[in-house]
Amino acid sequence: MRKIVSIVLALVSSLAIQASSPTETGKLEPIRPVAKAFTLDYGGASVLDTYLSSIKYSGYNLRLGYERLQAMHFNPEKWVMQLEAGVDYANTLNPAQDLVFHTAMFDAKWGMMHRWRVVDGLQLFGGGSTQLRGGAIYAPVNSNNVVSVKAHWSVDLTAMAVYNRKFGELPITFRYQATLPVAGLMYSLDYGESYFELYEGNLSGLAHLSWVGNRFALNQLVAADLHLGNTILRFGYRGVYETSWVNNLNTQIFRHSLVLGLCGEWVNVPTNSKLSDKARVISSIY
Amino acid sequence: MKKSLYIIYILVISLFATSCHEQEEFANDPYGNFDALWTNVDQHYCFFKYKNVDWEVIGQQYRAKLRPKMSSTELFDVCSDMLKELRDGHTNLMSGWDVSRYWIWEQYPKNYDERIVNEYYLHFDYRQSASIKYGILSNNFGYMYYGDFMGAIGEGNLDNVLAYLASSEGLIIDVRDNGGGNLLNVEKLVRRFITERLHAGAISHKTGPGHNDFSEPFDYYFEPIDDTRIKYLKPVVVLANRSSFSATNNFVSIMKTLPNVRIVGDTTGGGSGLPFTFDLPNGWAVRMSASEITDANGNVTEFGVDPSPGCKVDMTEAEMAMGKDAILERAFEVLEEMASNRK
Repeated sequence: MRKIVSIVLALVSSLAIQASSPTETGKLEPIRPVAKAFTLDYGGASVLDTYLSSIKYSGYNLRLGYERLQAMHFNPEKWVMQLEAGVDYANTLNPAQDLVFHTAMFDAKWGMMHRWRVVDGLQLFGGGSTQLRGGAIYAPVNSNNVVSVKAHWSVDLTAMAVYNRKFGELPITFRYQATLPVAGLMYSLDYGESYFELYEGNLSGLAHLSWVGNRFALNQLVAADLHLGNTILRFGYRGVYETSWVNNLNTQIFRHSLVLGLCGEWVNVPTNSKLSDKARVISSIY
Repeated sequence: MKKSLYIIYILVISLFATSCHEQEEFANDPYGNFDALWTNVDQHYCFFKYKNVDWEVIGQQYRAKLRPKMSSTELFDVCSDMLKELRDGHTNLMSGWDVSRYWIWEQYPKNYDERIVNEYYLHFDYRQSASIKYGILSNNFGYMYYGDFMGAIGEGNLDNVLAYLASSEGLIIDVRDNGGGNLLNVEKLVRRFITERLHAGAISHKTGPGHNDFSEPFDYYFEPIDDTRIKYLKPVVVLANRSSFSATNNFVSIMKTLPNVRIVGDTTGGGSGLPFTFDLPNGWAVRMSASEITDANGNVTEFGVDPSPGCKVDMTEAEMAMGKDAILERAFEVLEEMASNRK
């Protein structure tokens, strides 16, 4: 096993070294590998949306996610870019277990974080991001309030701590990240407004300015990335807490999930480029 | 550093406290379920003022009937009786074994017998396109029966129906016993009988839990169907009875505003509120009128739309026994009058 890990690590290192090429001015460009992760979240969920019901529903949730991290071109030591996208589904039941909510949402987020290398192996990140999140909660037995459509655009604050350490021959990256939308726009029907009224053309009052006072959404990830050669396995926990209070409508969506992921670092090697073995490799988080 | 972290922590917690709005929770026992029902209706029902209902007093009156150990059936009966105080056909309590209802139309003359129409007027010779049954009667009046506004009707179906009926002298649209359905089908149908933009009515929705929290009425309009489609612009009579409810009530109220249309039969069953549904801790669901729709003149038609002047007709048992549909017969007379006036 150790031998395989060593071979794979050697392969990754050689690939990274090959990807560095001198620029036209002769200065070596650092290699900025792209860290990609494909994740599956599974766990519990609870959903309250008073447009549909005054009762909290609970059940399970699933999320398929993609994440891309890369040191930024203009200052790779200090700045890191993050792109995240995902789709999630929650199947929740009322306390009497006879009615169901289906919640299907998507999210897409892009952000930049400043990096501080605090001590050996420990990096702290702080920055901002912007994200789109939307979807719907469907209550099949309801009449004209059968679905609650959600759409948000926000500007977020995000903070992350990363600690890289080797346990024997196995490098592990521990990570915590929290993202908090601070302002943006959100869509909401009025308290008792029907989609029929919307269809007939009453589009007023649908968009609302949001801030942490009327929409609080905190997304937290705790993860350990196990480096098995050029494949990295992610085990973690994601807690998502989304609430909003607008038009006298109360929404509270909580998700607590185990996270499993396949990750890796990739380097783009331009065709016919000559890469220097002297170039530095600047990883985003590893 | 510690102090800064503490301040950030306090800031985050305080922000959280402002945005996470506390939601009232109800116990799953007779009192909790009753209170959940009463509160849902209190916060969402739209006709308290129009019907002069004191929901506070009604709640106290029926809550006094609760007992901690009462059975689910007993609780259902108390809750159902409370909801009947609203006199609203759109308000139902739904449990696993029953649906409470205030269907006042069940107590009025039936005023429709499908067999009589099929046998004595259509002679079992009719066409069916999607949810519409249609044919041309022996007096050259067209007849179409639409029994459910939930029933899908496509523009192609309407083209076929109206093309077939185009040669008739006048048209009878029978929506008796049509309990309503999708309001979009109302628009789809009405567009075939108008030549210019029509003020169909106004909608006002709740903006908050207070009994007077309503939005300004929003006027909505129907556009005529485009000229590539088939319209029917000859005299039209709409047949209605007390079981013409909800979306059908809406359809009748809109058709009544058209100059070449008369309403014949009985007052419709009403149901002008757009219903929303909420659930209770024990899994029951309550449906109630949550959004007011008025007609083009601003009238609330919650208790029905009257027939056109001189067009109120009830079917008698004796006439029905002889295979006579008095409402349909009156429709023939009205169409003949309208046709002669046209000439």
